[in-house]
Amino acid sequence: MTKEEFLTVSNVCKAFGTGDSRQEVLRGMDFTVAKGEFCVLLGPSGSGKSTLLNIIGGIDQADDGYIAIAGDKLRDMDEKALTRYRRKHLGYVFQLYNLIPNLNVKENIEVGAYLSDKPLNIDELLNTLGLWEHRYKLPNQLSGGQQQRTSIGRAIVKNPDILLCDEPTGALDYNTSKEILKLIEDVNQKYGNTIIMVTHNNAISDMADHTIKLRDGKVRKNILNDHKISAMELDW
Amino acid sequence: MKNPLRKRILREMCKEWKRYVVLTILMVFMIALASGISVGNDSMMAAIEESYEKYNIENGHFELKDKATEDLLKAMSSDISIYEQFYKDSTEDHDQDGKADSSIRIFKIRKEVNRACVMEGRLPERKGEIAIDRNHATNRKIKVGDIINIGEDPTEVVGLISSSDYSTLYKKNSDFMFNAVDFDIAVVTEEAWEEIDSSIIYQYAYKYNDPPKDDSEAKVLGDKLMERLAVLAATGGYTDDKEKAESAKNDSALLMEILKKKESINELKDFVPEYANQAIHFAPNDMGGDKAMISVLVYIFIGVLAFIFAITTSNTITNEAAVIGTLRATGYTRGEMLRHYMLLPILVTLVASAIGNALGYTIFKDASVDLYYNSYSLMGYETRWNADAFLVTTVLPMVLMFLVNFIVIYRKLRLSPLRFLRRDLSTSKRKKAMRLPSWRFLNRFRLRILLNNLGGYIVLFCGIAFVMLLLAFSIGLPQTLDHYKSNLDENLICNYQYILKNYEDEEGKEITTGEESAEKYCVTSLETIDGAHVGEDISVYGYSEGSRYVKINEELKENEIWISSPYQKKFCLAKGDTITLKEKYEDTSYTFIIAGIYDYDGGLYVFLPRNNFNRIFGLDEKAFTGFFAQEAIHDIDADMIYSVVTLEDIMSIATQLDHSMGGMMDMVAWVCLIMAILIMYLLTKIIIEKNATSISMIKVLGYENGEINSLYILLTSIVVVFSSLVTAALAILGLAGVFRLYMGSLNGWFDIYISPLGILKMITILIVSYAIVAFCDMVRIKKIPLADALKNVE
Repeated sequence: MTKEEFLTVSNVCKAFGTGDSRQEVLRGMDFTVAKGEFCVLLGPSGSGKSTLLNIIGGIDQADDGYIAIAGDKLRDMDEKALTRYRRKHLGYVFQLYNLIPNLNVKENIEVGAYLSDKPLNIDELLNTLGLWEHRYKLPNQLSGGQQQRTSIGRAIVKNPDILLCDEPTGALDYNTSKEILKLIEDVNQKYGNTIIMVTHNNAISDMADHTIKLRDGKVRKNILNDHKISAMELDW
Repeated sequence: MKNPLRKRILREMCKEWKRYVVLTILMVFMIALASGISVGNDSMMAAIEESYEKYNIENGHFELKDKATEDLLKAMSSDISIYEQFYKDSTEDHDQDGKADSSIRIFKIRKEVNRACVMEGRLPERKGEIAIDRNHATNRKIKVGDIINIGEDPTEVVGLISSSDYSTLYKKNSDFMFNAVDFDIAVVTEEAWEEIDSSIIYQYAYKYNDPPKDDSEAKVLGDKLMERLAVLAATGGYTDDKEKAESAKNDSALLMEILKKKESINELKDFVPEYANQAIHFAPNDMGGDKAMISVLVYIFIGVLAFIFAITTSNTITNEAAVIGTLRATGYTRGEMLRHYMLLPILVTLVASAIGNALGYTIFKDASVDLYYNSYSLMGYETRWNADAFLVTTVLPMVLMFLVNFIVIYRKLRLSPLRFLRRDLSTSKRKKAMRLPSWRFLNRFRLRILLNNLGGYIVLFCGIAFVMLLLAFSIGLPQTLDHYKSNLDENLICNYQYILKNYEDEEGKEITTGEESAEKYCVTSLETIDGAHVGEDISVYGYSEGSRYVKINEELKENEIWISSPYQKKFCLAKGDTITLKEKYEDTSYTFIIAGIYDYDGGLYVFLPRNNFNRIFGLDEKAFTGFFAQEAIHDIDADMIYSVVTLEDIMSIATQLDHSMGGMMDMVAWVCLIMAILIMYLLTKIIIEKNATSISMIKVLGYENGEINSLYILLTSIVVVFSSLVTAALAILGLAGVFRLYMGSLNGWFDIYISPLGILKMITILIVSYAIVAFCDMVRIKKIPLADALKNVE
């Protein structure tokens, strides 16, 4: 059965600077992602993966081409519509967690829940995330892994259609990274969100449904993985 | 679901409790002060307003040379009701040592108009009892039950009163300033009044049968009435037609008709309509001015605090850029973020307004009312809820706080989520750092810190300017008064100015004295018709040839005059200018050419030779008004003396201002010191917090605390010293401007004066305040952990 196309990236171009300092970061990207797919954008530094993620997230704009989510093109949306789009469809996870320092774990997750009409049950989510015992701790009392779990909790509590993860394990050690990847995998399976993860770690592509390899602003390979493995089986 | 971000608010407050406590204290103090003054003012103003009906205050009064006959009174009463309120001026000796301590104006108990409000004790019931003004009694520490000498007669003070037409104790309406220390108002029984050994002043109060609707109508009616009364008095009630009266000069038949009323012929000596009566209006006008001034101060101060808040929030936004970027990326709207960051300043303002108003309506209102009771003879009052105070102390500060924070925070949050995620919050299009002069590295480093924190330093400058203005006021006013007094003492024309009722006695003999220092002079009063203050009284002096007292050695032509330096300053006149002055109750005007400026601070005077004076004012060649003298004159019959002007009279403004505000000035200076410390504490805290990561980083690199202090503390010290010097100059200029405006509304003039030592004191107070803050900052810098540099580094 062909999976339903959910995200379309069509001929997306993006450049920064002008004149001599102009640098083309994206040079006509084309690919699609199906609903509920775990998609990894893989590439070295400067390949344009974070820029592409920001454009998908509606926080940056393409110079040319378009992004469409369920047929709605982002370039046709004004700022308010983009905010509504993000509010309704997107969850974000960053490398450096970006938690609110004076809210505890549970409250940081509530910050995400507030944006949704039908948020997930926070207590249940805290259990799923393994944060139940830490729910009243402030971010500075948590380890990096716990902070990233909280950040994932904040992103998925509103049950977004798409979860955008920008190097979510970039600041974590090996074991913690695997735990986080396992968590994202569990979330994907349990809630059926489409996940787009930016990483430069090749190994992670083994657990993805779909890997898009980028280099110099172009899609070099677009691979559908029929033999994906569990996050806990990854090794690098 | 409520926005979970609101949970941060209380925690943010607890975390930064020192900052918010300081901000709240400052705001509470300012709001309480404004609320107290406003509520106190308006409650008292309402009491004054009600007193018109309650105590039946006059529509005006006039003074005749002699007692009016029934005929004259009847002629005068066509459209007004007239009430006798004769008085006698006497002396008051509080300690009964035989020396007069102050002058006292004594009325019979007035039962119809201008009734008194008994503040303590009771009204006199028999001879030997007196009720005196409450304010004067407080100033002179006289209590109910005390015995004081009135003239030479021991009299018991049985009551303290506030006379409804003397809420401000002006001896004469044209006086430069009231004087509740050396002048008193009193009432006695009719029997006691008759026995007072002093000449009677025939003053009559009047009330219109058809009262004017407003002040402008009152002015039109007043002008007409004055002219009518003057003509009626001069013709003994024969006519109120001025032209007809004047035609009598050439119409002997008419003159004969008028002379039939010889018994009733009189002279209008003084006319004061209610709207122009300083004794009634000075207090409420002053209160209105205070209210306006405190409102402006509140706005300036809340504006400074609003910017402190805005800078604090702006720094928080910078620190939380990544979080904001994340929240915005996940769908939080700009509006939600804006509301979140604006909540705290608005909440603090709201809390401060609530506490400030509560204190304003209680403690500060009482203090404000006490301050007015200390200066004015006001009646009792009831505290009233005040919509204006609510507007000034709650609504407008809230609006100001909202606007300043909205503009600053909105501008900051205008950036895209991506810019927040990248921590790229610079709104400047400049991509490269500004090139700096090739100074030493540390100096360039300081300059970078200055440029980076320019907003904070500008608000610091404004805060210092605000404190400096208050300091200039608290230090400048006492110095100005001292300077005025000592200047006057040094160049006073003479110690005594005697004004006689007539220069000839009943037998037509010229009045003379054996006092060697006595010298004849003439004086009259004219009023200005244009310039800085229309209707201001100008004393015109005619000095004897070769005068020992008025040292003008130049021969003046008939219309040439010299004017005193305050007159020149107030009306911006110069030698060679032409001025026109008019008679007070007539249309006759006189034009003079200024031939010189006489350096004398005593008042607004015109000087001309006595022979010119007599010619211009149509007097006999040998006529004179009285004597200048260095020593008291004892050989002239007291009945022939109309009044004596002494140094104390001329200095009454300084004495009164000193009494009203002198004590308060030390308190204002202390408040300034505390405010300076708190404002500088807040702003330098913000600057250091904003630079905490950089400070931490240079600590990691190996800089010592002393070196770091030399970067941050030294820079702030330079800014504070620079700001102190500049704002001291600005504050003095500002104060001079405000003082000029204030003096414009008064009769008289003197310049604001702050000695170099005073300026040094202003700057020192500020720098000492900063030294305390700098010490706190050093401790704060020392406490910044090295780990800060390693946090949040992507």
